[in-house]
Amino acid sequence: MRRNARSTVLTTLIASGALALTACGGGSSFDEEPTGDATSGGDSGDPGAPLTVLIGSSGDAETDAVTAAVAAWSEESGVEARAQAASDLNQELAQGFAAGNPPDIFYTSTDLIAGYVAAGSLYPYGDQLTNVDDVYPALIDTFTIDDQLYCAPTNFSTLALVINTDSWAAAGLTDADIPTDWESLAAAAQALTTDQQVGLSFGPEYQRIGAFMAEAGGAIIGEDGTTAVVDSPENLEALTFVKEMLANDTLKYPSEIGAGWGGEAFGSGGAAMTVEGNWINGALQNDFPDISYEVVEMPEGSAGKGTMLYTNCWGIAQDSQNKEGAVSLVEHLTSKDVQVALLEAYGVMPSVQSARDDFFEVYPEQGAFLEGGEYGVGLPTVQGANDVIADFNGQLEGLETTDPQTILSSVQTNMQALLDSQG
Amino acid sequence: MSTGVGQRETASRQAADARRENRAARSAGRQRLMTVIVYVALIVIASIYIYPFLVNLATSLKSEPEAAASPIALIPYNWTTEAYQNLFTRSDFPLWFRNSVFVTLVVTVGRVFVNSLAGYALARLQFRGRAAVFAFLVAVMAVPGVVLLIPRFLVLNQIGLYDTFAGMMIPLMADAAGIFIMKNFFESIPRSVEEAARIDGAGHFRTYWSIVLPMATPALITLVILSFNGSWNELSHFIVASQDPQLVTLTKGVAQLASGGLGQGSQYPLKLGAAAIMTIPVAVMFFIFQKRIINVTAGAVKE
Amino acid sequence: MSNGSSAPARTSPVRSQRKPSRGSGIRGHEAAAGWLFISPMIVILGLFLVIPILMAAWVSVSDWSGRGSPLASTVGFVGAEHYGELTLGGGLATQDFGTALRNNAWYVLLVVPTQTVLSLFLATLVNRQVLKGRGFFRTAFFFPSVTSSVAITVLFLFLFSASGAVNAALARLSINGPNWFSDSRGVVHILLGAVGVDQAPGFLTANGFMALSWWQWLSGPSVAMSVFIIMAIFTTSGTFMLLFIAALQAVSGEVEEAALVDGCSGWQRFWFVTLPMVRPTIFTVFTLGLIGCWQVFDQIYTGTQGGPAKTTLTPAYLSYQASFESAQWGRGAAVAFILFGIIVVMTVIQRLVLRERDTVPKRKRFVFSERSGESGTRPGAQL
Repeated sequence: MRRNARSTVLTTLIASGALALTACGGGSSFDEEPTGDATSGGDSGDPGAPLTVLIGSSGDAETDAVTAAVAAWSEESGVEARAQAASDLNQELAQGFAAGNPPDIFYTSTDLIAGYVAAGSLYPYGDQLTNVDDVYPALIDTFTIDDQLYCAPTNFSTLALVINTDSWAAAGLTDADIPTDWESLAAAAQALTTDQQVGLSFGPEYQRIGAFMAEAGGAIIGEDGTTAVVDSPENLEALTFVKEMLANDTLKYPSEIGAGWGGEAFGSGGAAMTVEGNWINGALQNDFPDISYEVVEMPEGSAGKGTMLYTNCWGIAQDSQNKEGAVSLVEHLTSKDVQVALLEAYGVMPSVQSARDDFFEVYPEQGAFLEGGEYGVGLPTVQGANDVIADFNGQLEGLETTDPQTILSSVQTNMQALLDSQG
Repeated sequence: MSTGVGQRETASRQAADARRENRAARSAGRQRLMTVIVYVALIVIASIYIYPFLVNLATSLKSEPEAAASPIALIPYNWTTEAYQNLFTRSDFPLWFRNSVFVTLVVTVGRVFVNSLAGYALARLQFRGRAAVFAFLVAVMAVPGVVLLIPRFLVLNQIGLYDTFAGMMIPLMADAAGIFIMKNFFESIPRSVEEAARIDGAGHFRTYWSIVLPMATPALITLVILSFNGSWNELSHFIVASQDPQLVTLTKGVAQLASGGLGQGSQYPLKLGAAAIMTIPVAVMFFIFQKRIINVTAGAVKE
Repeated sequence: MSNGSSAPARTSPVRSQRKPSRGSGIRGHEAAAGWLFISPMIVILGLFLVIPILMAAWVSVSDWSGRGSPLASTVGFVGAEHYGELTLGGGLATQDFGTALRNNAWYVLLVVPTQTVLSLFLATLVNRQVLKGRGFFRTAFFFPSVTSSVAITVLFLFLFSASGAVNAALARLSINGPNWFSDSRGVVHILLGAVGVDQAPGFLTANGFMALSWWQWLSGPSVAMSVFIIMAIFTTSGTFMLLFIAALQAVSGEVEEAALVDGCSGWQRFWFVTLPMVRPTIFTVFTLGLIGCWQVFDQIYTGTQGGPAKTTLTPAYLSYQASFESAQWGRGAAVAFILFGIIVVMTVIQRLVLRERDTVPKRKRFVFSERSGESGTRPGAQL
């Protein structure tokens, strides 16, 4: 009997010990309620706490530039701050949020911001920024949700056509042949395609093909914001055009020529032209310095000009221990001088209008990127849209052997279902 | 014994002998042919199995253009250790290696300790609920690892062990298979040894630690090998248990490399060099302890 | 008790009679020691196996958004919403899950039988008595099983790249190899295309299951998935070969000789005598293969991350992706549990089938067998 009692006691002790262990460590976060209200001054935490900045980098150029900017602020302010490039930004953010310990500042993309806001993960500090008036209005709109500006836009990029001038000349083409519409694009790609090099290459994704869709007059979501317009004759026209070029072998996806993305395909000489954004400057400077290239606006489609517009913003985590410091750091990172430094490092365009001339100073021949800012189309910002786009991209990988109508119909269904579930 | 019948008998017996000899010769010939065929088949298949690893080694010593141009060649035209140099200077490979070694050593020691304790208790100690614990262990073995991916992350969060070495190591320290191996071995040790120790006044832990455990060396070695392999090659748990670049192990780091970590180019020599270095410790372990590993693998199922 | 014999101590009734007499002198505190010894294991397994499963079960029926604790009071109960979305919803979630199931089902279908047959074949070859260098061959076949899945995946990424070793070898045979890891065409579709069936028949595209048409279900593994299938067979056949060698060696030599004396040819001997006797091992290999194949994750994570065109997406990877990339924790947990269910069901079915064809104890095999159809030998034959 004694032994039984003792063993029972022991069992209880061990079991409760295990439970206590569970409860202890998580005690503080057990009943944590995400503070959804937007009081800015209230709980800004400890102004001296160290800050982490997490970015999804396009390459060494970007990482080094951001690290330098953060270090400069850190020295000036005396607050420890560290920048880090994520190997998988979405995953690390998801893990950080779940752990209650996300980075203080991080890139927030247009397709994921709605989800973060809904989960209460973002701290809206837009009203604390001093240079809001200088920022392009379109960018401010993108990051304003429910009439609150959640974060400061970092910079923006657009897509343009990048041409290898050596291959251009070798094919006997001149300035007059620079593509201004789809026919001339197809013709140029045809002329540039040789045994060693394909005329055109870009990634099989909406983030590139969307430019053609915009040029034909198509879109993903209608004006009213509640109808999906993916399945339209305009989009079909765009996809059919791309499919034709794939069939002629004048267009190849980067994976087919052994490259990871369009910039690599272009830089390694596998393709004579590519459709890419500003970031290609940094990549080419660092990794493929021997390529001489020029940048021209995307050719016009039947509805005129069109391109894709990309922007990020500096999200500050609601769970940050030092919101005051974070806002100050973001102000520094979006200031004109720092943005111009980033511009010089890897070519992205500053979000502030006052830096427009600086852009032309550094890249006088790349006005095409800047022009794209006028008519560029961004990714849908509806929560959950990134899954639909990811599925769209998956289908686009097989565009060469699939009927474009099938692809558009399926994306239409998915997108409409998503919009319906929001309303 | 008369010549007529005897001769006929001898003749028929000789004929039968001759037929049997012919048949034997033919079947011996057929047997030899079979053996040759078997040898050829084995050599061909073994080459298919070995070739990829040779290509791995060879490609890691080629330059990138050569790797792309002549992927099959087993002897590089121009030997170069460029890939290895890049691996060590331009990525965090040394850090990953150190982390892997650290984690593997700690997990192995921990596992040996936890599993042998539990195995001894289940084999030799009587306590209420022993059968229940045993049934629990059997049930545990049925849970597929992949189901635990998300939940373990959630629990590590709650306990506060997320993004720490402890969080990476502790969950790996108990595994039902190891406990069974130790339990089976302990059961085969004669009780007289323990009883003698107990008569001499040794407590349970003393008995376990000083008497029985040293006798269990073969099983311990088996456990060490299995733990080493298991934790050195572990990937999914490390993915969810941490995200700090300082805690990345070889598996996670090389997986990141493979999905395009370093930016430009496919850089196959570099990636293959990483894969080669990753494989060396387990290969060494394998070749030293071959017999034991093979016995354990074959016998483990007959439990 | 002083003679050191352990035989009496094994039967519990005798034991419990002895206990009170020994009291606390020698075997005292045994229960305490017992619980103490197993406490580390209980804590670790309880904490990192039982509690996670319970927590994941809760997350899969809750609307936890990924921030803070899932046990907080703000997290609500949504019942089977996630499970419904995945199986009956019909939207993108169902489509993804259906695609993952299809991909993994083809993977299992092709890997498990092939690796069983291949490992049995290798085992019979390596097991022959007259073989020299048996150890070398055994080592060669088993070595891939010891290496890390990450290392092997990286290696195969190279071998099967567009300009890799495999395509170079095929080029020598004047075959234009596909761009393996980027090719999303289904193998069955390719084969059908080769015999002229280019378009999907109407009735197959009109109806479907889980948001995929029957034509899509029948597409077979994609070319990219086929590389993973080859990789799986490459790395696991060695392990199973060892199991078969052990089983083959357990088949008594006398049995084989008896069969030889009875005049069975080599093939008959194998098919009717050896094979039935290793049947338990075959079922074991099958079960282990099934359980392993439904969990494939590491290779997908390292290699293709579900692409091209989601043809290498598996439920395990989908679970990870939904939770860690899209922050849809409820859905990810639901996928994990459905997968758990699938594996358990498969294992139970395997166990049931195994129990039906009970292995006849060795000594009975030398007795007149009434079930003449069982092993194909003539009734009354002494095996």
